[in-house]
Amino acid sequence: MGLKAYMNDIVEAVVTTAKGMRITARYGVDPREEVTLQYPEERWEIPEGYRGFLHNDIKTCTACTMCVKTCPVDCISLESVRGADKRMVLASYDINIGRCMYCGLCVEVCPPKSLKHTSGYEMASVTRGELILHFIAEDAAEIKARVARQVAEAAAKAEAQAAAKAAEVPSSGTAEVAKAAEAAKAGAQAGPKAAEVPPSGTAEAAGAQASAKTAEVPLSGTKAPDVSSESAKAPVVEPKAAKEGENKE
Amino acid sequence: MTTRTDALPTQEMTINMGPQHPSTHGVLRVILTTDGEVVTRAVPDVGYLHRGLEKIGERVTYAQYMPFTDRLDYLAAMNCNCAWAWAVEKLAKIEVPERAEYLRVIVCELNRISSHLIAFGSYTADMGAFTPFLYGIREREHVNDLFEMICGNRLTYNYARVGGVSGDAPPGFLEKTKEFLDYFEPKIDEYNNLISYNKIFVHRLANVAVIPAEEAVAYGLTGPNLRGSGVPFDLRKDEPYSVYPKFDFKVCVGTGERGTLGDCFDRYMVRINEMRESIKIVRQAVAQIPDGPVLAKVPRLFKPPVGEVYFRSECPRGETGIYLISDGSVNPFRLKIRTGSFVAMNIFEKVTKGLMIADIVAVIGSFDIILPEIDR
Amino acid sequence: MEALAISLVNAVPLLAGVPLWAVTLLLMVVVAAVILVFALTFEGVGSLVLRKVAGDIQARIGPNRVGPNGMLQFLADGVKLVLKEDLIPANADRLLFKLAPYFAFVGSFAAFVVVPFGVGLIAADLNIGIYYVMAVTSLVVIGVLLAGWSSNNKWALLGGMRAAAQIVSYEIPVGMALIPAVLIAGSLSLQDIVRSQSGLLGIFGWNLFHNPFTFFSFFLYFTAAQAETNQTPFDLPEAESELVSGYNVEYSGIRFGLFFLSEFGDMFIVATLSTACFLGGWNVPFFNAGTLPWIWGNLFSLGVFLAKAFTMVLIMMWVRWTLPRLRVDQLMRMAWKYLVPLTFVNLLGVSLWLLVFKGKGIPAMIASLFG
Ligand code: SF4
Ligand code: SF4
Repeated sequence: MGLKAYMNDIVEAVVTTAKGMRITARYGVDPREEVTLQYPEERWEIPEGYRGFLHNDIKTCTACTMCVKTCPVDCISLESVRGADKRMVLASYDINIGRCMYCGLCVEVCPPKSLKHTSGYEMASVTRGELILHFIAEDAAEIKARVARQVAEAAAKAEAQAAAKAAEVPSSGTAEVAKAAEAAKAGAQAGPKAAEVPPSGTAEAAGAQASAKTAEVPLSGTKAPDVSSESAKAPVVEPKAAKEGENKE
Repeated sequence: MTTRTDALPTQEMTINMGPQHPSTHGVLRVILTTDGEVVTRAVPDVGYLHRGLEKIGERVTYAQYMPFTDRLDYLAAMNCNCAWAWAVEKLAKIEVPERAEYLRVIVCELNRISSHLIAFGSYTADMGAFTPFLYGIREREHVNDLFEMICGNRLTYNYARVGGVSGDAPPGFLEKTKEFLDYFEPKIDEYNNLISYNKIFVHRLANVAVIPAEEAVAYGLTGPNLRGSGVPFDLRKDEPYSVYPKFDFKVCVGTGERGTLGDCFDRYMVRINEMRESIKIVRQAVAQIPDGPVLAKVPRLFKPPVGEVYFRSECPRGETGIYLISDGSVNPFRLKIRTGSFVAMNIFEKVTKGLMIADIVAVIGSFDIILPEIDR
Repeated sequence: MEALAISLVNAVPLLAGVPLWAVTLLLMVVVAAVILVFALTFEGVGSLVLRKVAGDIQARIGPNRVGPNGMLQFLADGVKLVLKEDLIPANADRLLFKLAPYFAFVGSFAAFVVVPFGVGLIAADLNIGIYYVMAVTSLVVIGVLLAGWSSNNKWALLGGMRAAAQIVSYEIPVGMALIPAVLIAGSLSLQDIVRSQSGLLGIFGWNLFHNPFTFFSFFLYFTAAQAETNQTPFDLPEAESELVSGYNVEYSGIRFGLFFLSEFGDMFIVATLSTACFLGGWNVPFFNAGTLPWIWGNLFSLGVFLAKAFTMVLIMMWVRWTLPRLRVDQLMRMAWKYLVPLTFVNLLGVSLWLLVFKGKGIPAMIASLFG
C-alpha cells in the first residue's frame, strides 16, 4: 500500500464520517423531524375500508353460512334453525377474533352485507376464550327451544286451520282431524286471525304471518358487541361459556 | 523447534448462532464451527418456521389461499398476493382488467420499495449502525399508510384477487402515492451519504462473500442476489408479465464499485438502486393508469381445467415461482412454491468459508433472507 | 489528602484529640462517597441523555413517560436493575462470575479520583495522574475478560477475548496521543496540565491550538480512546448484532448494571481526559478562576469543566448513533497500521516543535509578535 492510498484511506474515513454526522446532527437538532405518534393519546386517522374487528349486524344476517364456508381458518361458527316461516333463524353467531386474520374474505361474500369490518383494532383479554365474540347474547339452546315451540305452534295453527276447513268440508272430516283441530285450538288459542287465512293457505302461509312476530323475538333480546366504539375492551362476551368452548378446543 | 500450536493445542469451537439471534433475521439457525473468530464452516439449519403453507394450499380453494400468501413473505405481501393471482389466472386463463394490472404493478413496486427499505435498514443495524434502520422504518410507514388506504391493512394486505384486485384505489390514493415518491426520492441520496459510502460500512461489505456470476447462476440465485453478481436477469424484463413491458426501467446490477464484483456491497447497492427504479415504474404507472373495472367476473368456487402451471414473478427477494397442479376440483392438487431466500441458503455454506463471525452477519444480511420464505 | 486533613484539624478545634490518620481516613471515605455519588448520577443521567440523543437523531422522541419529559427514566431503570433476579448460569465459574463486574466498575470509578474538576477540586492530585488513569482503566479489561470467561458461554468468551485484544492494542495509541500534553506541561499531574493551558491567550492557550501536531493529537486520542473504552463504533466486545451482547450476555440484575455503569464511567473519563489535556480543562478565555474566592472559583471552574466534558460526551453519543461497527481484524488493522504510526509521528512532531521553538506554541508566538 502506497503512501497515497494510505492517506486517501484516512481522508476518506474522515470525510464520510463527517458527512454521516452532518445528517444525524440535522435530525438531532430539528424537532420537526420527530415522527413518533404518542399512541394512546394520539391516533392516526383510520382510512375508510380499514379491516378491523368484524361486526355482524345479525338483524340483516340471513344465516346463509357463506362467511363460514369462505373463511380459510374456520373462525366463524354459527348455529341456525329453520324458523316457523322456513327462513333460517340464527341461534348463535360467534367469531373467534383471536384466530381471525382480518383477510376480509368473509365480508366480501356476505350477500346482505351484514358482516362488516369495523375500525376497532385494540382489545386485550386475559384468556383466549374472551376473544370469541358472541353476537347473540341469548343462549343458543333457548333460542332453539323457542323457535321449535314457534314452529310447533305454527304447525298446530296450520293444522287447526286445516281442520277447520275439514270441518267445513264434511267429506274430509275424520275423527282424528277434528280431535287435532280441537286440541290445537285449545293450545294455540287460534284467534279470529286464523279464520282470516285465505282458503288456499298452506301451513307456510300461516307460518309467514306468525313469523312476522316471532322472528323478532330473538333479535330484540340480543346485544351485539359494539367493537367500533373507543372502548373496545369489553365486547359482550359470556366468559364462562366461552371458556368452556375454548377448553374443548 | 515446536511451534506454538504444538505446545498449546487449539481446538475448533462449535457455536450455535440462532434460532434466537438478533441478526439472523428471524429464526434461522446457523451452526458455526470456528477457529477463534474465523469461521471454518457455517451450516444453515432451516425449518424453525415451517407452517406447511404448501400443504395448506391443497386444502383450501384458490381464492381462500390468497391470505396465506401474505404470510409467505410478510415484508412483500403484495408481491406474493399478485404472484398467486397471476399463477391462478394463468392456470385458469382468466382475463384481468387492465386497471387491475396497473394497480397490481403500483402496489408491487411500492412493496418492493418498502421491502428494500427493511433490507437496507436491518442490514445497517446488523453492521452496528442503528440509526439508518429507523430512517428506513420511518419511510416504510408511509408505504404502509398507502396500503392501509387501498386495502385496509398494514402488513397482511390480501389485496389481489383471482381476476383482479379487491378494490379500486380510493380517491386520493394516486395523488398520495405521487407525494410519497417525491418525498422519498431524495431520501435515497441521504441514505447513501449517511451510510452506504461510509468508510467503515464499505470496508465491512466490500470483498466479503464474493459470488462470481457463473456460480450465482449455477446455484440458482435470483433477484438482487443474482444481479449483485452482475447478471442482468430480471423477470420483469426477461419474462415480462402483467403490464411491465409498458414501463421503462433499467435492471440494476452489481458493478463491483468498491470491491470485487458480486460481494456483499454489490448486493446491497443493487437494492438501493432498485428502489430508484421502482420509483420510476410507479411514476409511470400512476401517469398511465386507465379507467375501468378492477375485478373480472370469476365464479366464487371456480374450477380451473385439469393441468399444471408454473408462474414466476420478480419479488423483492428473488424469483417467487408458483407451481400448481389442478385436478379440476376447487382445490389445487399440488402446490409448490419456489422462493428466493430458500435458494440463497444453498450457497451460504460455500461463501462463508474462512470469513469471520461478523461477516456471517454481513452475508445473511446481504442475501436479505426472510424466514417465512425459507421455511414456508 | 493528609495536608487537607491537617488543615481540617487546625480549623476545627473539636478534632484536635482525634489521631491524624483517622481524620485522613474519614476524609477519604467522604471524598470517595462524593465521587461515587457523582459518578452514579452522571452514569444514570448519561444513560438517559444517551437515549434522548438517540431519539432525537433517529427522528423519534425517546423516553418520555417516567417523570416530567421522561427525566426520571434512569431512576426507573436503576430500580428495575436492582430488583431483577441475579442469575448465575449453572456451569459458570461462580466466584469469577460474581467478581467480574466489580473489576469493571472499580476500574472506571477509580479513575474519577484524579479528574481535575476545578481549581482545587481534585480528590487526589497524583503526580502521575495520567499514568494512573491509564493503568487503572485497564482494570476494566480484566473484568470484561473474567466475565467472558466465567459465563461459560461462547458468545461471552468471544466478547471477552475481543475486549482483551482491543484494549491491549489501543492502550498504545492512547498513551502516545496524550504524551504531547504531558510534554507541554512538563508534568504528569492532570492539574498541572490544566494549569499549563491557562493564561491570557484565551482558548488559544489550550493545547488543542498549541501547534498543528497537538491539534491532530486530540483527534487521535479521541478516536483511540473511544476504541479503548469500547464505545461504538468500536464496541466489538458487546456487538449486539454479532455476539448477541458479548461479554455481559449472561449477566442480569445489578451485576449487569455495574457493567453498564462502568461503560458510562469510561465514557466520562475519556471526555474528562480530552478536556483536561486538550481543551484547557476548567480554563475559560481571558479569565482566571483561581483569582476568585476559593468557593466561587471552584464552583465556577467546576461548571466550566463539566460543560466541556459533557459536550465531549454528547459528541461521543453523536458518533455512536452515526457509525457502523468495525470488524475485529479491521479494528486491529486500524490500531496497528493507522493509529500507532500516526501517534508516533505526531509525538515526534510535537517533540521537535517544542525543541525548536523552546516550548512556545503558535498562538504564543503570534502574541509575542504583537508584544
Ligand atoms: S376476516 Fe378472514 S379470517 Fe377473519 S373471519 Fe373473515 S374470512 Fe375468516
Ligand atoms: S355471509 Fe353474511 S348473511 Fe351469510 S351467514 Fe355470514 S354474515 Fe350472515
